[in-house]
Parts: sequence; C-alpha cells; structure tokens
Amino acid sequence: MSNLIASDILYSYSNGPVLNSLSIELIDGEITCLIGESGAGKTTLLRIIAGLEKQISGEIRIGNQVISNDDIFIDPHKRQVGLVVQERALFPHLKIIDNICFGLDDTKINKKSRAKYLMEIFKIEKYENSYPHEISSGEQQRVSLARALAPSPKILLMDEPFSSIDRALKFSLRQDTKKILKDEEITTLMVSHDFNDALEVADKLAIIDQGKIVQIGQPRDVVLNPINNQIKKQFLCETGDLIYWQSKIDEKNNL
Amino acid sequence: MKNFFSLFPTTLIGIFFSIPAIIIFLSLFQDFSSNWNHLIDTVLFEYFFNSFKLFLGVSIGVFIIGVSTAWIVSTCDFKGKDFFSWALVLPFSIPPYIMAYAFTGLFDSYGTANDIARIIFNLGEDYTFFPSVRSIGGAIIVFSFTLYPYVYLIAQNAFSNQSRDIFDVSRTLGFSRTKTFFKVALPIARPAIVASLMLVGMEVLSDFGAVEHFAIPTFTSGIFRTWFGLNDLVTAKQLASLLFLIFLILILIEKYSRRKIVYSSSSTSNRELIPTPLKGSKSILAIMICSLPIIIGFLVPFIQLLYWAIFHESSFINIELFYSIYNSISLAIVGGLFCIATATFINYVLRIKRSKYLSFINKSITSGYGIPGIVLALGVLNLFLVIDNYFNILLTGSLIGLIFAYMVKFYALPNSSIESGFKKIPNILDDVASSLGKPKNKILNNVHIPLLKKSFLIAMLVFMIEVIKELPITLILRPFNFNTLSVSAYSYASDERMIEAAGPSIAIVMVCLIPIIILIKFMRNNLNE
Repeated sequence: MSNLIASDILYSYSNGPVLNSLSIELIDGEITCLIGESGAGKTTLLRIIAGLEKQISGEIRIGNQVISNDDIFIDPHKRQVGLVVQERALFPHLKIIDNICFGLDDTKINKKSRAKYLMEIFKIEKYENSYPHEISSGEQQRVSLARALAPSPKILLMDEPFSSIDRALKFSLRQDTKKILKDEEITTLMVSHDFNDALEVADKLAIIDQGKIVQIGQPRDVVLNPINNQIKKQFLCETGDLIYWQSKIDEKNNL
Repeated sequence: MKNFFSLFPTTLIGIFFSIPAIIIFLSLFQDFSSNWNHLIDTVLFEYFFNSFKLFLGVSIGVFIIGVSTAWIVSTCDFKGKDFFSWALVLPFSIPPYIMAYAFTGLFDSYGTANDIARIIFNLGEDYTFFPSVRSIGGAIIVFSFTLYPYVYLIAQNAFSNQSRDIFDVSRTLGFSRTKTFFKVALPIARPAIVASLMLVGMEVLSDFGAVEHFAIPTFTSGIFRTWFGLNDLVTAKQLASLLFLIFLILILIEKYSRRKIVYSSSSTSNRELIPTPLKGSKSILAIMICSLPIIIGFLVPFIQLLYWAIFHESSFINIELFYSIYNSISLAIVGGLFCIATATFINYVLRIKRSKYLSFINKSITSGYGIPGIVLALGVLNLFLVIDNYFNILLTGSLIGLIFAYMVKFYALPNSSIESGFKKIPNILDDVASSLGKPKNKILNNVHIPLLKKSFLIAMLVFMIEVIKELPITLILRPFNFNTLSVSAYSYASDERMIEAAGPSIAIVMVCLIPIIILIKFMRNNLNE
C-alpha cells in the first residue's frame, strides 16, 4: 500500500503544453478516476507516472521515495507501477497463464498459484492454456488486469480499462476489479470516459482540464457540486440532467 | 465452357512450370550409376557438411547483422537514421559471387588489404596479415554481408508493426529495454525472422558462383562437377534431387513460420512504436553498428572493383561490356513482361473465380522460387531436350529456354506484387463497372490494369534485379557465345582475371542499384502514406 504524489508536473509537445503544473495525490488503497475531455492530458499523466515519458519539470513520489524529478529518474521496470491499457496489449506469443506470470519473479515459488488465484478471481481459469487470439475481447481485458495485478504493484494505472467491453460484461468486470483492488489495497489511478465506471469503481473523481486537476473529491461531491460550468456541462452532456446522477449515487450508496 | 477458357490455360501454365522440378525429382527413380559409390566414398559427405556449415554459419551471421540493425532502425532515433534505414539495403545490389571476387582481390596473399598491412606494419613481402578468404569462414562472411538485407527488411517490418503498448506493458512489469527485446520483441517477430532465414538458407544452398570461386565443395559445385567432370547427367540430376529435397524441407519450415505470423500479428493493439532518442555514446554505437554492414557489404567491395577498373584496366569499357549489359537488361525486361502478363492473367482469373483449385495452381507456380537455380536449369534442359526430339526443333540452348527458366524461378516475385495490387482494388469497383455495362475483359482493361500500374513497375524491378544477378541458370542455358553481365564476370573470375572481371561486376552493381533505389523510394512513400 503506497500513496502517490505528483507535484507541479509540466509536459508539452511541440504544439503546446499538455500538462501544466499538474498536481495530484493518490491516497493509500484508494481508487481515483481521472475524467476529462480528449486531449486533456489523461493518458500522458499515466505514461509519466509509469516512467514511459519524462516530465519537463515537477516531481513524483511513491510513499517516501522520489521516482522522478529533475535529478532522479527511475526506469519504468523498477517502479513497481502496473499498467492496464485500453488495447489490452497481451503478448501474442504467450499462453494466458504465461501472460499473467510474465511480470512475476522467476524465483517466486508461488508464481503459478498467484496466477491461478487471479485467474479464478477474473473467471478465466479455463483459458489457462489458450493464446490471446483464441479468447474474446472481454476475456482479454480480464487477462490484462490479472497480468498487471500479478506482481502486486504499489500503484496501478488503468487507461480506459472497461471501454471496449460488452455492456453486459462490464458490470461484472467492474465488480471483480474493484473487489481485488480493495482486497489487495492497491492505490489506483483510472482513466475513463464513462461516468458509470467512475461511480461504480472509484472512491474519488478527479477532473482534468487544460493540463490541470481542477477538481478532486468524492464522486457525489464532484458530480453534484461541479466547481465550474464547464464541468457541469460535461455531466449534463452525458446524461441530460443531474438528477440521473443523484439517483445513481443513491443507488450505489444503498448497495 | 466459360470455365474451360479460364481454367485450362491456368492449368497448362501450372503443369508447364512444374515439369522441370518433376523431371529432376523423378531422376531419383532412375538407376544409380557406379559414380554414386565414388561420390559416397569421396566427396558426398564433404558436400553435405560444407553446405550445412555454410547454412548454419550464414544463418547466424545474417541473424546478428539483420536483426540488430532492424531493431536499432525500428526502435531508436539517432543521427542519420533515415539514411541507414535505406542504405542498409544497398548490399542487395552485390551478388555473393561479385563480393567473393572483390574479397579475394582484397584479402588474398598479395591482395590490396595485405599490401596495405605490409606497408603499415613494415612486414616482409611473404608475410600474410589477413587470413585467406578462400575458406568456409570467408564464404560465411561474404554470404552474411550480402544476404543480411533479407533478414533486415523482414525483421524491420516485423518490429515496426509491433505495438507500443506491448513494449510499455512489458516495461511496467519489470523488464528493461534489453530484456523486453529478448522476451517480447524477438519472440513476436520470430516467425517472420525464421521465414527470412529460410530464404537466406535457400540462397546459400543454391549459390554456385561464390563457392566455386572459393573452391568450397558443396552440393551445387558438386552437381556441376558430376555433370561436366564425370560427364554423368543422371547422377548430377540425382544429386540435384537431394538438394531439392533439402529445399522442400526449408520451404515447409518457411510456410509453417508464415502460418504462425498470423497468430503473432493478431495483436490486440496497434499504436505505433515511438522510437527512443539516443544521445552521446549510445548514438555513436548505433551509427557504428548500422555503418558496418554497409561498409563491408557494399562500400569495400565496390571500391575494390572501382580500384581495379580505374587503376589497372581502363579498357574494360568496350563493346563486349555493352553487349553484356544489353543482353542482361533485355533478357530481364522480356522475362519480366512475360511474368507480369502471366501473373496478371492468373490473378485476374482468381479474382473472378475465387476457386481453391486456381489458388493451389498459383501457389504451386510460385514455388519455383524455392528451386535452386542449378536444379531448375537441369530440369529445363531435360524438358527442352524432350521437346526438341519430339517436335524435331531446336529449343535447347535458345533464349526461349533461358527466359522460361527465369520465369519459373522468379515468377513468385512479380506475382506477389500483382497479387497484392489486385487485393487493394475493392471488389465493389468490379460490381459498379459491371452494373455500368462493362464486360469482364473491359473491367480488366479499363479498371484493373490502370490501377495496377505501380504493382507492374515493382514487379518488373524486382524481377530485373534477380535476373541481372542470376548466374547458374544463365551459365547452363544461355545460347552459345551469348554473354550476360553475370556470365562475363564469372568467366573472367574463373580464369583468375579479376581485373577484367571488375567491369561487368561494376555494371551488375550499377544496373541493380537503379531498381533498388526506385524500390526503396516506393517503400518509403508507402510507409508515409
């Protein structure tokens, strides 16, 4: 269990800044959902935290350890930050079991049992010896989640993890994912376009706009009390009115 | 009846193209002469082991050169990367036998390199600084530096098509860049790389010019010696059958690998790989790794040939050289036109009929690429002897036999370009043209052929490169006193007149460079598109 603090992150492409003095704190074991329009810098932030891009300035810490600032840069493979991408990116030459074991230390005796445990949680045991192209996209996403969770990362980053999945399967996958993230107390940052994802899985909502986190808080507070009209518009565009979200939140609380 | 007119010619072409290989294969059922005992007692195992050593050594060589350069060019950003991405293909213009001639001139006891070493280190006149290249090791170096572009091109394509996400995920799962290369990138590209290694293996096993020049007894040189030395055509054919069987095994491996490519490329993500910028020592190392194959595989042999041509023999530009150039180019163009016409016809029939039978016929015609040149030449020679006797005409030793053999050998290359050209034309265009009242032949003329122009040009260029470089088929089947560039270079080199061999050798490189540069330009434009 670790918290993550990113402060004053600046990143830009040739056509202008993407992240503009962005700061965010992820609390131990909490699931934070990052919401924002296309091009707001959501994926870039995930890539910077994972170490796949380096920010121009700013600092990132996991617990007490600085993993990236002007002087220090820890390579992605040493950060213990897991990544789940929208496209799943399973290794096509490896069987499902080997995909899940990929990030596990060879010396770990309980390597297989860890993989089998995760396969059971994500209900993919029967595909143990299949190859990625032999299973459906929903199952592939389950494998992708299991693979990222297998090495017990300190931080898990998920980029649109439920986006290309059948509606019927989405609900169960969200529940399974949330269960294991909570059981293992993994601090998570998830990017999603779907407010249902955010409401069902996240403990917090963070709104990113023009490269900055403009609002962060409990989903109820953010949805019902957006700090500006633009955020309000985003919610209204999604659903038509705020009453829908009120009922969704109440429904979730009752559950 | 309509089916008859489309299926009959295709079947006939298929049969005609397969006969040379069948003739050679059937020789295994003929009586084995006493020369076999002699071969088994003396040289057969040497042929086998030398061929195997070459195959293994060159496979390792081209793997190291081709894969390392492909990986660097595909995944890294450094100064001169754009230049290296196309310049690494340049050694394609130098056939192994030309490189062998140049290397002999450079590294023989009294070659240029040893002369320079003796001057620099003040060594005695008899002292040999560089080891002889007329050895299996020398041949492995020659083949590796001329044939690695097969692996480079295919591996570069395989690496470039791998998704960025797969690399990113691997890195977040605790794998460094190097480990990611070995555990992820290489296994995913493996089927493509194996296929390219099989192509190289086939080139090595079917080579005649380089091994003959280095005096290394292999299957191909053995076939020649058995035929001309022992004057035993049947045993030569039987030896050729053995080589053909080895090729069939390689083709099966290659096909199996290609089948696996389908699985490997069915990646769930297609985001393009972002090259890693290299700076300082890493950038210099990348430049050195990419420069080495160009220097050894292209610049060094080319400069040696130029040195011979300019400083030793200025009379190499003569009427004979121009005749050889004319003969090589005209043979390549005529053969190319026939191949393009055949491939267009068969692929067009395949498009409108969509029959598995036709597809099988087309595949069997393309398998001629896998038959070693010397084996094919023997088969064609036999076929034409039968035709000559039966019809009382003289096709043997005519240009028809030579062009036919080129077509059988290299049909796969124009076919692949035209096949992919047809695939790019949406079927709906045919339907629309049909609904506008155009009959099928008009659709071919007015819709397909104009859209296939680029494919035709690529088909012609790849066919030309192969024909101009080709040696054993031309050597066996050419009409009497008919010289092409490859035959001229071989004739001079086999008489150890290396300086005279420089003229036709340079001409081969220059003539092949033009289509190669045009092809590279096409490839780059396609990538940009």
